[in-house]
Amino acid sequence: MKSLRRFLNRLFNSATRRALEERLREEIAEHIALETEENLRVGVSPVEARRRAMLKFGGVEAMKQDYRAERGLLFIENLLGDLRNARRTICRMPGLAAVIIVSLAIGIGVNTTILSWIQTILFQPLPGVSGASNFLLVEPRTETGGYPGASWPEYRALQRQVPALRDVVAFQMVPFNVGETGQTERTFGQLVSGNYFSALGLKPAIGRFIQPEEVERPGTEPVIVISYDYWQTRFRGASGAVGQKVRVNERDLIVIGVAPREFQGTTPPLKFELWAPATLAPALLGGTRDLEDRSVRAFSLIGMLRPGATREEAQAECSTAMAQLARDYPEASAGIGGEVLPFWNAPRGPQRMLISGLAILQGVMLLLLLAVCGNTANLMLARGSTRQREMAVRLALGAGRWRIVSLVLSENMLLALLGASLGAAIAVWGTTALRVAPMIGAFPILFQSRVDELTLAFAILLGAACGLIFSAAPAFHLARLDPQDGLRSSSNTPPRNRARKVLMGVEVGLAMVVLIAAALFLENFRSARQTDPRFRPEGVLLAAYDLSGRNPDEASEREFAARLLERLRSLPDVEVAAIATNVPLDLHGIPSRPFTVEGRLRTQPGQDRAISNTVTPGYFKVMAIPLLEGSDFAEMVDRVAPAQAIVNEEFVRRYLNGADAIGRRIQTRTGSFAIIGVARNSVYDAFGEPAQPAVYFSYRDLPAIQGEIHLRTRNGNETALTSEARAVLRELDPMLPLYDVRTFSQHIERNLYLRRIPARMFVVLGPLLLGLAAIGIYAVVSYAVARRTREIGVRLAFGATSGRVVLQIIRENLGVIIWGTAIGWVLALVVSVHAITKGVVNLPVFIGVPAILLSVATLACWIPARRASRIDPMAALRHE
Amino acid sequence: MEQKTDVLQGALTLMVLKTLDVLGPLHGYGIARRIEQISGDLLAVNQGTLYPVLLKLEQEGAIASAWGASANNRRTRFHRVTREERKQLQVETQDCEQTLAIIGRFFDMKTEDLS
Repeated sequence: MKSLRRFLNRLFNSATRRALEERLREEIAEHIALETEENLRVGVSPVEARRRAMLKFGGVEAMKQDYRAERGLLFIENLLGDLRNARRTICRMPGLAAVIIVSLAIGIGVNTTILSWIQTILFQPLPGVSGASNFLLVEPRTETGGYPGASWPEYRALQRQVPALRDVVAFQMVPFNVGETGQTERTFGQLVSGNYFSALGLKPAIGRFIQPEEVERPGTEPVIVISYDYWQTRFRGASGAVGQKVRVNERDLIVIGVAPREFQGTTPPLKFELWAPATLAPALLGGTRDLEDRSVRAFSLIGMLRPGATREEAQAECSTAMAQLARDYPEASAGIGGEVLPFWNAPRGPQRMLISGLAILQGVMLLLLLAVCGNTANLMLARGSTRQREMAVRLALGAGRWRIVSLVLSENMLLALLGASLGAAIAVWGTTALRVAPMIGAFPILFQSRVDELTLAFAILLGAACGLIFSAAPAFHLARLDPQDGLRSSSNTPPRNRARKVLMGVEVGLAMVVLIAAALFLENFRSARQTDPRFRPEGVLLAAYDLSGRNPDEASEREFAARLLERLRSLPDVEVAAIATNVPLDLHGIPSRPFTVEGRLRTQPGQDRAISNTVTPGYFKVMAIPLLEGSDFAEMVDRVAPAQAIVNEEFVRRYLNGADAIGRRIQTRTGSFAIIGVARNSVYDAFGEPAQPAVYFSYRDLPAIQGEIHLRTRNGNETALTSEARAVLRELDPMLPLYDVRTFSQHIERNLYLRRIPARMFVVLGPLLLGLAAIGIYAVVSYAVARRTREIGVRLAFGATSGRVVLQIIRENLGVIIWGTAIGWVLALVVSVHAITKGVVNLPVFIGVPAILLSVATLACWIPARRASRIDPMAALRHE
Repeated sequence: MEQKTDVLQGALTLMVLKTLDVLGPLHGYGIARRIEQISGDLLAVNQGTLYPVLLKLEQEGAIASAWGASANNRRTRFHRVTREERKQLQVETQDCEQTLAIIGRFFDMKTEDLS
């Protein structure tokens, strides 16, 4: 009770200390006056009387210190004092403080932003779904390590046969033409299993979700769930939206509910607008066999672990189930196993690329922050040395070492935390900007990362860590100071600058590593872009049409394509036209098909597969892929020629051992095809991929419901063809939209966008880091030079030329810089040779980057050295 | 001015309280004189050490202080024991006397007493 009262009083007094201080002064004065009078009465002289009184009272300052300790909480008072002092110190060096705070803020802000992305992918992979990180992916896996997706029958089997997973859900991404005739627009939606919404634990914003019964029999319920955004934009958020009809792929579907605001589907970061029952697939996609055909692996599966079950159990059950399927349906499932994977470890789709890219980025950014810390430490150390006198005075007056350390620490911590809060603000801005930024591409994309408590804590922690890192050196240095030395020596003592130089070297080394990483990344990206795709994308316009909903039969599909092609070819600006089912370098890849080829005996179980694309005659001309042997496909209207196929070189090499291919027959599930030609290899899925076997089928033999129109322009301006192509299609069928019109170059750009984000960041980062290193070097050298003004003055007075002085200063500092560069260079080289390029050294990068770094470093040394060499020797000597 | 006896903080506290209890409100100098008179030369403390003790007692609420006029009409601070502390003090005094008596007996003890 008493101690509590005392504590509260002390706390209060800490805030209002002046009154008590004054009172004590008065009390002491009175005490001594009374004692003096007493002594006077004894008969001593007034002076002696006062002296005795003082002696009897004892050490006033020591007592005052006790009194103060008793009065308030010394710890808090010291801290407040330190902070006040820190604020004053920082205000006295606004330029320096601004450089430190801004550079820290950039470092911390960027790191926090990246962490918020990573955190979103790891912990909230599905926006709007709570506990989404508990979901596991169920991925069928081929012998060759591909992840083809799951078929609907497979899903049905896995749903029952993996009891460790609760509610396995299936979904498939599909494009929809939404709207009335003539004004259709294209949106993306997902076809989902009946338990989709309930398993994700979602609550509709309004209305209801798809029920399991609605996904039992094909074509049961023509219902659809719309996204919150779609509801807001198309229905203006009216509650009457539920029950309304939406025309999707020429089918009327009834809106039954609206998904919650945050929810954007289950393939982040793609954003979907519509969700329809999977059983609508045949109706919406023009009679696809998605639901029956075991070899159409269109679905992705996810499921949450049952309480108490482990991923290993789920994996074991999944493997058993897949093995059973492989035995029961060898033609579709042979050799296909299953994997149960955590969400962040998705083997396909955009997420995988994202997470590895982000992890690398985070590492690099932390290095960058470390470099910023090094820089700040250097600046602080330089400043600390100019404060030796101040610290010596403090020590001489009785401040303990810890008081000095806490003084320095509080200054730096204040700087660091200011930097951290600015950094957090940058991160908030960054993530918001990312959310709002329109992602232009083939698919709508939305990143819902945000700065939450965890990321904020991370920012503050980073700030505190930075503060500690960069105050350690100066605090240690100043606390070790001998007060006598500090007071005696004025600025003409040679500064102890080994620590600063080492830091400078470390910083340059770090800059070296990051710059080389940035350059390699960029170079890698650029060279991937410059890799010859082995076809010619320039001058080609792509556009898609889709007959889904017309439910055409093969003959009408063929006829439509033939008529379309004929008209397109007659356009004056079109050099060649073709239609294909797939476009290379697509984000989703090109499907591969199993086949058997005449003249090849398989020794292992399973089937040969090759990338397959169905194309019309003229395709190879449009793409500029030369036919090495044989000829192009027969014309679309040809009814005589047998079914044809064209294979590529890799196909011949791998499956026919290089033997003559022409005339051999390929057998697939859809029929038998005669090989009539061999095309050159080209790139199918990604730049820099190893050669893949491919088979081209003829559109005449296998007409498709969808087609990608390829037009090669005559005059080099492919975009100009857009309106003509639209007009042609409208003439043929006024209700059909021509969608996804883009040049082939745009198509490639879009699909490279995920790789482009980090590449662009590196472009910004490299120079930033170079700038930081330059500031660091500049700070060290200009400080060192300032300390040696007198020495330089003497040198100049004795006849040294300014050139010599400059040279000497540069030489002194460049040594350390070269060491740092060399170590960083070797480190980068070792890492790059062992981990990234596997033995190949990118010479331009490994020579160019150090050259740039060293010239910038020399410049950063030269500027302060030059300034120092211009001083008037007389002024320099009078300096003290 | 070396201290002849190392005065324990507790003892000084109790002396201050007892002095104020017996004599009523006093200023710092008065308390110091009083302690000096009673203890004689046996206890000569730095009079200054009294002030932190007074402050501590005041913060604990054992004493209160107010401005007043000293004998020669100068402004000074007068301290007095609070009412609640007055009751507390009786208990503490008894406790202390008891403790001292026990300690005294230990000090008087000779080796023979134990045999």
